[in-house]
Amino acid sequence: MLRERRGVRLTVLTVALRSLRGRFVASALTALSIALGISLVIASVLLSRGIKEGFLEGTTDYSLVVGAKGSPTQLVLNVVFRMDVPTPNILYRSYRQLLDDPRVEVAVPVALGDAYQGFRYVATTGAYFAAFPWRRKVFAVSSGRFFRDDAPEQPTYEAVVGAEAARRTGLRVGDRFYEGEEMAEYPLAVVGILRSTGSADDRAIFFTLASFWEMNEVSRKMKIKPLTAVLVRPKRMSDLPSLHRGLNVSTETQAVFPSAVLLTIFNLLSLAEEVLTMILTTVVIVVLLYLFISMYSATLERKREIATMRALGARRATILGIVLLESCALAVIGGVAGILGGHGAAYLGASLLAARGGLVTNLSLVSALEPVVFASVIFLGALAGLLPAVLAYRTEVAENLAPLS
Amino acid sequence: MTQTRLAVTLRGVKKSFPLGNGRALEALNIGEWALPAGGCTVMTGPSGSGKTTLLNLIAGVSVPTAGTIFVHDTDLCALPEPRRDRFRAQHIGYVFQTFNLLSAFSALENVMLAMMFADAIPRPQQRQRAGEILSRLGLGARLSHKPQHLSRGEQQRVAIARALANKPPLILADEPCASLDAATATEVLEEFLTVCREDGKTLFIVSHDEVVLGAGDQVVDIAEINHPGYRQDAA
Repeated sequence: MLRERRGVRLTVLTVALRSLRGRFVASALTALSIALGISLVIASVLLSRGIKEGFLEGTTDYSLVVGAKGSPTQLVLNVVFRMDVPTPNILYRSYRQLLDDPRVEVAVPVALGDAYQGFRYVATTGAYFAAFPWRRKVFAVSSGRFFRDDAPEQPTYEAVVGAEAARRTGLRVGDRFYEGEEMAEYPLAVVGILRSTGSADDRAIFFTLASFWEMNEVSRKMKIKPLTAVLVRPKRMSDLPSLHRGLNVSTETQAVFPSAVLLTIFNLLSLAEEVLTMILTTVVIVVLLYLFISMYSATLERKREIATMRALGARRATILGIVLLESCALAVIGGVAGILGGHGAAYLGASLLAARGGLVTNLSLVSALEPVVFASVIFLGALAGLLPAVLAYRTEVAENLAPLS
Repeated sequence: MTQTRLAVTLRGVKKSFPLGNGRALEALNIGEWALPAGGCTVMTGPSGSGKTTLLNLIAGVSVPTAGTIFVHDTDLCALPEPRRDRFRAQHIGYVFQTFNLLSAFSALENVMLAMMFADAIPRPQQRQRAGEILSRLGLGARLSHKPQHLSRGEQQRVAIARALANKPPLILADEPCASLDAATATEVLEEFLTVCREDGKTLFIVSHDEVVLGAGDQVVDIAEINHPGYRQDAA
């Protein structure tokens, strides 16, 4: 026995929704196209913002990065963000000179080398993890301990693994590992796993400089050991310009302000953002046009139905409202699906970027972006439905009631 | 002396359609004509003689080029369009030749739709009222069926139920049996007339159909009233 659904009253909104359901395939395709467009906008904005914030959060607390002559951007990208290829080496004595410089409070040597399962080896000293009053970043171990500094002739091969690197490689405290048969003689022993820092350090494997030099065939034979860079913090910020100048005058080294490089990166990103904005604007216009065409053709096809409703007593304003509500309903359905889909795509993109070494953070569930996008989608949905609604409003009743031949 | 109540009164009604280049086709020119209240009046005439145009003018879906149309005591031509729409929804039921049911809505919803636009029946009672009229027309088991799942006879019954939904005193029907086979036409027409007579409606049908002509209390040939200067007094 057929049952009639009870309790559903007909209102302008239910009439609009029922009309949309009556042309389900066309309505679903229109909502899907809106969802895809909105997804693209949301995912692009979230990823672009996440990349920027990832750079900001992942930057170093040190004021200067000292490395070999060459590209400052390459030096910072490699030493701080573990991107790009390593810069040439500098000599260990450059680090010693900085340590002896009365203007320097802290100098931390860093040597970047190979990788284990894609996670970069970073050789340094215990100072890298030390806490200072001026330091935002806090290093702590979730299990085990930090490695002990060792003498150059007595490498300990102790390793501390970043949170993400440990998660992805499955390394645990007590594990011994090496990459490549030639390194089998120098296995590293995991003594600690770092807590997440929200920076590139999460994807690094740290161990001592002595171990690094001994593991590397070239450096093993070198009397004066190599480094990739030295991170420097002056005692007084007023000493920074003179330190910067002095290190840059040297033929061997260059000193780079990480903040200046970050600014260069952001300038490049903003250029990309401008292009992205143009593309996204085009996408929004195309989606709007699609919604408009969909509503316009639906109105043309339904002139007889509209005339019938008018003959039954529906006012022109009621018809206008029904068509506008249909357009807005499609925008709401597409908008909600688009925002959810955009977040999904952004998380997927962030995972892919993270796997490739990129930094993306703060892909928060809801921010000011979503309400703004949602309100804009509804407004634009109403705008796209306005002309079809006016067409419906102006439908001539008698003309469109004539029997179909 | 008794005075016959009039459902519709037309005075000096003209309706022309522009043809372009400043020319116009005059479809209607009726000096004076009245439709008595109660009973069933059938208007006949050849195709293109202005029957449907007249029906649309009485329903207020279009306005005359000149003249006045009174439905009961209301001058339709004097009403602004929104009030004319509301008047039509509450006082006139319209049955179309091709039913004009909305395909996205069930039989029950098609009837309720007319009530929603008229707002004459309290909302909580609309569903019950729609179900009752459809049941009266033998469609109690078809309430949730979409028009495309109903036979043509059933579709026309839904259209009749929709026209009766707001309890209007005047029902207009444009060739109500033209889309039905002879047997179904007879059956539907009989039910239509019965319901209208029981409820004391004024039924004005436009038709060529011999069956319909035979069912009317009076038959009017449009050619008799649609002449410039021709005048017919109400009976």
